[in-house]
Amino acid sequence: MFNNLRGFFDKLKPTFSEGGKLAWLGSTFEAFETFAFTPNRVTKQGCHVRDAVDLKRAMITVVIALIPAMLFGMWNIGYQHYIASPETVNCHFFWYCLWFGFLRMLPLLAVSYIVGLTIEFAFAQIRHHQVNEGFLVTGFLIPMIVPVTTPLWQLAIATAFAVIIGKEVFGGTGMNFLNPALVARAFLFFSYPTRMSGDSVWIAADLWGTDAITSATPLAELAAGLQPSASALDMFIGTIPGSTCETSVIAILLGAILLLISGIASWRIMLSVILGGGLMGLLFNAIGANAYMQLPFYYHYLMGGFLFGAVFMATDPVTAAQTNVGKWIYGLLIGIFAVMLRVINPAYPEGMMLSILLMNCFAPLIDHCVVAHNIKRRQKRAIVKSKNSAR
Amino acid sequence: MMVDKITIKKGLDIPIAGAAEKRITNALGIKLYAVKPTDFVGLTPHLLVEEGDAVATGGALFCDKNDERIRFTSPVNGQVKAIVRGEKRRLLEVVVEAKDSSPLVLEVPHTADEIKAAMLRSGLWTALRQRPFGVVANPNDHPKAIFVSAFDTAPLAPDYDFVLQGKEDFFKKGLEALAKLSNGEVHVCFHPDQELAKHLSPLTSHLSPHYVKGPHPAGNIGTQIAHIDPINKGEVVWTMNAQDVVVLGELVSTGVYRPEKVIAVAGPLIKNPHYYRIKAGASIAGIVAEQVLNTNYPKMENDNAARENRVISGNILSGTQISNEGFIGAYDDLVSILPEGDYYDFMGWMMPGIKKYSYSRTFLSGFLPKSTFKPMGIQLPRFSSYWKFDTNTHGDERPLVFTGSFERVFPFDIYPTQLIKACIIGDIELMEQLGIYEVEPEDFALCEFIDVSKTEIQRIIREALETLRKEVADV
Repeated sequence: MFNNLRGFFDKLKPTFSEGGKLAWLGSTFEAFETFAFTPNRVTKQGCHVRDAVDLKRAMITVVIALIPAMLFGMWNIGYQHYIASPETVNCHFFWYCLWFGFLRMLPLLAVSYIVGLTIEFAFAQIRHHQVNEGFLVTGFLIPMIVPVTTPLWQLAIATAFAVIIGKEVFGGTGMNFLNPALVARAFLFFSYPTRMSGDSVWIAADLWGTDAITSATPLAELAAGLQPSASALDMFIGTIPGSTCETSVIAILLGAILLLISGIASWRIMLSVILGGGLMGLLFNAIGANAYMQLPFYYHYLMGGFLFGAVFMATDPVTAAQTNVGKWIYGLLIGIFAVMLRVINPAYPEGMMLSILLMNCFAPLIDHCVVAHNIKRRQKRAIVKSKNSAR
Repeated sequence: MMVDKITIKKGLDIPIAGAAEKRITNALGIKLYAVKPTDFVGLTPHLLVEEGDAVATGGALFCDKNDERIRFTSPVNGQVKAIVRGEKRRLLEVVVEAKDSSPLVLEVPHTADEIKAAMLRSGLWTALRQRPFGVVANPNDHPKAIFVSAFDTAPLAPDYDFVLQGKEDFFKKGLEALAKLSNGEVHVCFHPDQELAKHLSPLTSHLSPHYVKGPHPAGNIGTQIAHIDPINKGEVVWTMNAQDVVVLGELVSTGVYRPEKVIAVAGPLIKNPHYYRIKAGASIAGIVAEQVLNTNYPKMENDNAARENRVISGNILSGTQISNEGFIGAYDDLVSILPEGDYYDFMGWMMPGIKKYSYSRTFLSGFLPKSTFKPMGIQLPRFSSYWKFDTNTHGDERPLVFTGSFERVFPFDIYPTQLIKACIIGDIELMEQLGIYEVEPEDFALCEFIDVSKTEIQRIIREALETLRKEVADV
């Protein structure tokens, strides 16, 4: 099997290499080849040995960290459907719920990956670059943060917009300044607001189509001046309506543990987002002007996409602040703004997306200030030194 | 006497097998020696000999075109056997065949000027390197300090306590000679429980010892300079390897120039990794032939390709590749031998990876018990003690995406990611502001090792430093 496949690639290689008939598809071939085989490239100078981790491995680790949330999300789509529909009794059957959710998620995932990867391959091909692994994660994330009833054509447009405008125009993965998955969600949110918020998008009415059973998320209830109908425990486990895979705190924490142990995501960012949200929540508690402000601060962690954003979105290494001090500032401000938007601005029940996108924009500025401080310290050291030696 | 203790927290000790056993084989009888202009950063050599010429120990083979006082000399009495040139007739090696190894004997130098003259005459001057830029020191300069690291933390590095055994007095004499050359301090760095440190007291006033604790790169001279007295723009410091300090010590106390050193030959492929006593620039052909063991190394399944060896003069993080018949580099006291890694790894990026080493815990190997972990004295199956280190890059080059990890292995008050980016775009002013003068490529070796995007960071830093050096020279 190994030898056959290797032989197959070796046979095709000349056709796709420079001078071959299909040389214009070189990047595509390279992407498939490196998918199947880590290349036989050896070090030339500098370090003669290299760490076993590469970008593919790092990205697949993030995808693995997302899997608990994905599985729970699938189950919850089915569960929410059955408890709200006439076939209520089915909600007690684990596999019924999971199967229903799986069938609802599959088209979303397929559309996201097909549209996104097609564009990625095309751009890589035009630029004669290698296909970057970044979309492995982005393509997985996009369906996880939209309502289950999102029409597929809208998702396709949003994905295309995110990949082209959010990433490729800046030069591809590593050069973008906004988190592409959030760009897709923001695009949907502002282009098709009726399909992204309100009460009739969160629970699928049937196996196909975009009809929904009316139900409000806890954030919508709060924005409407009510108290959340779900208990804190339900919200912690995640058996509440919401975007497909963002509801379960437990599943997200499992992913967070893997990201932190593997060292792929920054603990500074995760911790500081949570601290920032908590601080703002406590501050609102202290003011206590309305029911929303009086809501215990930890509810903000349990509702909506706060934790999902803190663990998987804010920590995106490309769009986050890159200095350690900068990461603290960046994270704190994300937490603060997210809770502030939720409580004070009723037009946006969920503040996490906008808050992260806003801080994505400011991350380079934060880094600039942190680095400028280092530069200043170095200059000062040189000046003190030259004064001393002048004496 | 003030004792300065420094603790380095950031860094990484790479757990590679095959460290040298404490045993020395005498290999002073090796026939071939070479001096390689490529070992010296930025050197334009001016050849002084022809093939067939007789040369004596300390006889010049070539000199620096810009400063003819800086001479590169033969380590033995003998005959010039070959002058090896590369592309564009670039001088690569001057090979000398040894007849006998009688040392060069000079008058015992006493004053700073005499020491300097003796070093230039014998060729030992080239062992003094300058920071920034890593070039051979300029005899006209007055460095603000001279740094000597008396230990090495690099993977498979020689143990200086062992290597310098019996030479402690010469080491001290050498340091005192350096103190005369410098108009500032001479900083010597030890690790906290180093025997060698005890031989130094009582110290003369210009020698200051420092005790540096921590993982690699704690033993790197760059790390030590950054923590003791960082280099500002326009300043110059000199550095010298500990074994060259011993040669200097002998020169100043007896007048004899004897360019010998003890090198470690190490690596996971080697039969009996241990030490060899050689003369500078010795051919390692015999040592490699006798040591390399090509079997018994974990091969990939279905991988029938015969695995080549890579011989490295220096350590596996920043050494130079040489051929199996090559010569040890002027500044190196370690020969590392690794298996080449030119194989395909089926689905390598998705497999659990029990035998793969990663600083990140993205492979199963990161979760398996280490060989040092023995609950209740029971040795668990040693899954992770035998890492499959070879020269495979484990992935293709990509843009810098995961940008937060360099900081964890880079113990400088410098932002590595930002400095690397400044070097890539070639912004000289920004490089200066971010501290380019404080670093050498080897300081970035660990960043390069753990880099997810497989960028050649050391090459980027070297090229940036060369651009800067030329810029400074033009002004």
